[in-house]
Amino acid sequence: MTTSEPAIPPRFRPIVWLRARLDNLGFSLPFLACVLILALSPLVVREAYLRRLLVTSLYFGILAMVFDFTGGFINAVNFGFAGFVGLGAYIAAILTFYFGINPWLAMLAALVASGLVGFLTGLLTLPLRGIYVSLMSWFVGMTLGALTSAWEKVTRGARGIIVPPLFESVTILHHFYILLGMLLALYVILRLIIRSRVGLAFRAIGQNYEVARASGVNPIKYKLINFTLSCAVAGMIGGYYAYFVGIVTPDLLDLGHTMEVMALSFIGGSGSLIGGVFAAFLFIPVFDSLKRLMQYRLLIYGLSLILIMIFYPAGLNGLYQKIKSVFKLPKRKKQ
Amino acid sequence: MDLSIIQNLLVTGLLRGGLYALMSVGLALVFGVMNICHFAHGEYYVIGAYVAYFAYALFGLNPILAILVAAAASFLAGAITEKLLFYPLRKFNKGEWVMNAFLLTAGLSTVLQSIFRLSFGMKYMGIIQYWDATVSIFGMNIAVDRVVAFGIALVAIGGLWLFLRRTRTGRAIRAVSQDERGAQLAGIDLNWIQTLTFALGSMLAGLGGASLLSLSPAYPFAGNKPLIASWFVVTIAGLGNVEGAIVGGLLVGVFESVSYYLLGQGWQDVASLVLLILLLLFKPAGLFGTRVKSVWE
Repeated sequence: MTTSEPAIPPRFRPIVWLRARLDNLGFSLPFLACVLILALSPLVVREAYLRRLLVTSLYFGILAMVFDFTGGFINAVNFGFAGFVGLGAYIAAILTFYFGINPWLAMLAALVASGLVGFLTGLLTLPLRGIYVSLMSWFVGMTLGALTSAWEKVTRGARGIIVPPLFESVTILHHFYILLGMLLALYVILRLIIRSRVGLAFRAIGQNYEVARASGVNPIKYKLINFTLSCAVAGMIGGYYAYFVGIVTPDLLDLGHTMEVMALSFIGGSGSLIGGVFAAFLFIPVFDSLKRLMQYRLLIYGLSLILIMIFYPAGLNGLYQKIKSVFKLPKRKKQ
Repeated sequence: MDLSIIQNLLVTGLLRGGLYALMSVGLALVFGVMNICHFAHGEYYVIGAYVAYFAYALFGLNPILAILVAAAASFLAGAITEKLLFYPLRKFNKGEWVMNAFLLTAGLSTVLQSIFRLSFGMKYMGIIQYWDATVSIFGMNIAVDRVVAFGIALVAIGGLWLFLRRTRTGRAIRAVSQDERGAQLAGIDLNWIQTLTFALGSMLAGLGGASLLSLSPAYPFAGNKPLIASWFVVTIAGLGNVEGAIVGGLLVGVFESVSYYLLGQGWQDVASLVLLILLLLFKPAGLFGTRVKSVWE
């Protein structure tokens, strides 16, 4: 802990105390600086196109973080992730389009619906080996995708559903700050869960299933909690995305979407939560601003996933930890 | 449903199931020996299809020869992939092998699909037929291509069975699938066996893609459907169970043609998932699942 240094003048003590509190919430100083820069960036970034890029990066960053909450901790990769995101988007879109329900309530419904489907998927597969979860969630994601294309009466098939905007006079800046708020809130909540007793159980299961079981952790229960939570949040974010882009189509549930989120989360560093957000801000603006790169996007994602898996599973987070230990920044309790 | 429709569905289902069996056997073999959940299996199917297209339509090779060339090419592609990716992964890997290998194949699938798209474009490269003839089965006219493809699948599976049973190398593959360390102690070169297994699995997929070229043209994303189907089969049969994969492949083929007839395109996928869920509920280890991972034991 930082407070163990002997010579701290009394007037600095509140600052040190505050810093320790913030640290506990996951807001280390470098991270706070990044958030501050990001929050102030619209002052400099005035072009609508660039602002849109910031929002897209935030959206993918949040998804990568939610993905990591399952993939990085209980070692179950949700291969139907885009399906759950898309389910949320469709639920929100259908509720608003056909019934004119308030967007925020519709997002809540999206959260519940995706959580429910996630719960049922988990209930079926989590007692089995880890790889079955991936396979089964892949199948579920595909079925949801097939359903959105086939059930034209409700989903309008490939034509998609037009979603009215969130507010009357919504600007891209509103979306930016709402998503940034969501990111920070989700980061704090997910991190608190990870650092609680429940989170300890998650990590125990992810690291060594048998040992965790032998020491009295009920793996199925905790895996189910984790899986349901991440699917539910994915659905809510999907619901928000529907209002952001204004149209939902079956493309949203495509496996390529899952691959993108998965690659970002693993590039960021598995088990780091926030790493995926940094990866999103690193990759997405680059791809989008260099239009020539766009068609190589999936190729680059795939290649990075392969290279990360073989040579550097720690990802960006591992790189950051290494740099930090070189510069001997004040040591904190390990996450 | 009268009898002729049932016969009709059965025949088309079995012919379709032959391909699924072929693909699934490769998948099960790779899983059984190397413990890899192969997500890029469909891409080797596409490699087979592309090579057969170029060999047959461009260079005008004899159909059988073109299919053999395609099989050889996908065998080679599999061997190169194994040496280039899985060998280093085995060397460096510290985390959980099954999950890391699975994610690697997921990345590989994306990479290969992008490469196909960038080098051949998003167009269908197909042929009308290898052989201009039909045969009559139960009073139905069926293209010779389909029957030959089914025959190739049977011959390939039979050949693999003999290879695994009767040859020293085949026995070594089975030994590795039973006990890696034990096999190594007995003097089996693990690296060679693993490369060979992966290449064989890829070859089976490539064979499928090549022999069905007239039915499904080569296309960057053509591997998705066979991949999904073969994973479906392997999950039903029990992971790593090669014999189960054969029966499962034929079963899924028939099930698909029946559900296609009854429900129509689109809903058929939903029906497949419901079947899978019911199976997992009542037989979580698969229809023929064994506790021990095995290759023809």
